Amino acid sequence: MKDLFRGELVRFTMEEPETRSKAEARWQRDSELHRLADSGPAQLNSEKTIKEWFEKQTEEGFKPERYGFSVRTLAEDKYIGFLGIWVDLIHSEAWVGLGIGERDFWSKGYGTDMMKLCMQYVFRELGLQRLSLGLHEYNPRALRSYEKCGFRLEGRTRQDLLREGRRYDSLWMGILREEWLEMQKGDGK
Amino acid sequence: MKDVLKGKLVRLSAFDPEEMSKAFPRWYQKSEYFRLLNSSGQPMQSAKAALKWMEEEAGEASPANYYFSIRTLSEDKLIGELGLDVVTWPGRDAFVGLGIGEPDYWGKGYGTDIMNVLLRFAFTEVNLRRVTLSVFEYNPRAIRSYEKVGFRHEGRTRKVLNKEGRRWDILYMGILREEWLELND
Repeated sequence: MKDLFRGELVRFTMEEPETRSKAEARWQRDSELHRLADSGPAQLNSEKTIKEWFEKQTEEGFKPERYGFSVRTLAEDKYIGFLGIWVDLIHSEAWVGLGIGERDFWSKGYGTDMMKLCMQYVFRELGLQRLSLGLHEYNPRALRSYEKCGFRLEGRTRQDLLREGRRYDSLWMGILREEWLEMQKGDGK
Repeated sequence: MKDVLKGKLVRLSAFDPEEMSKAFPRWYQKSEYFRLLNSSGQPMQSAKAALKWMEEEAGEASPANYYFSIRTLSEDKLIGELGLDVVTWPGRDAFVGLGIGEPDYWGKGYGTDIMNVLLRFAFTEVNLRRVTLSVFEYNPRAIRSYEKVGFRHEGRTRKVLNKEGRRWDILYMGILREEWLELND
């Protein structure tokens, strides 16, 4: 059987709350990363606060609605980002969100590889019917990456974002189980 | 749209811990009821202990656990309990347990009606792929009822129960979504 947690450039891990909070506190200081990943105002939290969140999450234990991973590169074994999956159990659908905290690893195919691993997990392991995501219009790099992964643009909320006096749309994308399976055939897998 | 919580004889109603904690000790007073539902030798619970358990266990809303009480349509009388617990989400399989605590309603088709409503709920509301149950060998009435609504025999743990100096099997039954659709279209 295939290693579900290993891609071509990255692998999924779960880092300790200590490691995660150290990295997260540093990544939060990058307000551009924040804007790409979130529509709220940039905010900073202390390492201690973040560590408490992660510890609470660990205590809550396994929930079939929620899956989170840390991401490490295969080449350097460097911890560069995170990926979270939120499942709607009744409708067999999930939302994904991901981020690469280390800027040196932007625009080099790492995000695409993370998403491919995520799709494999969602469709092959969780057996879900579709995967959804949202992104901001001002993040064309992410849009291209998701298109490459097979996501289709399904809609947009027009001008719901206001950044530096300009309005932008929220974009909504999705991929169906059948579409993903079809793509796997093309890969000769 | 159809009322998915209503059958021909019964309806599923909200599981009210207050009400059920009073009903349980009354129902479980009858050792036969207890034996049909439960294989352990657990002693009876007081209403207070039952309430504590219910508030802790059955209180929290979750897409994996569904608890109902059962009422007759004609008299709106509380007669039983029902639980559906999703066992695996990737397999979309759930385990069902039901009991009619009021013996006056045994052997009259109420259980079959309850199971029919439950299966419709499981397959059309929770969108499950299969439903599983277990039943004791010494409960032929239940076995017949489950067979009637479409459950198939899938296996048994042989001689696992020890009651009245005799050993009995636990039977496992299941129904797949396709099978249910076939029967109910």
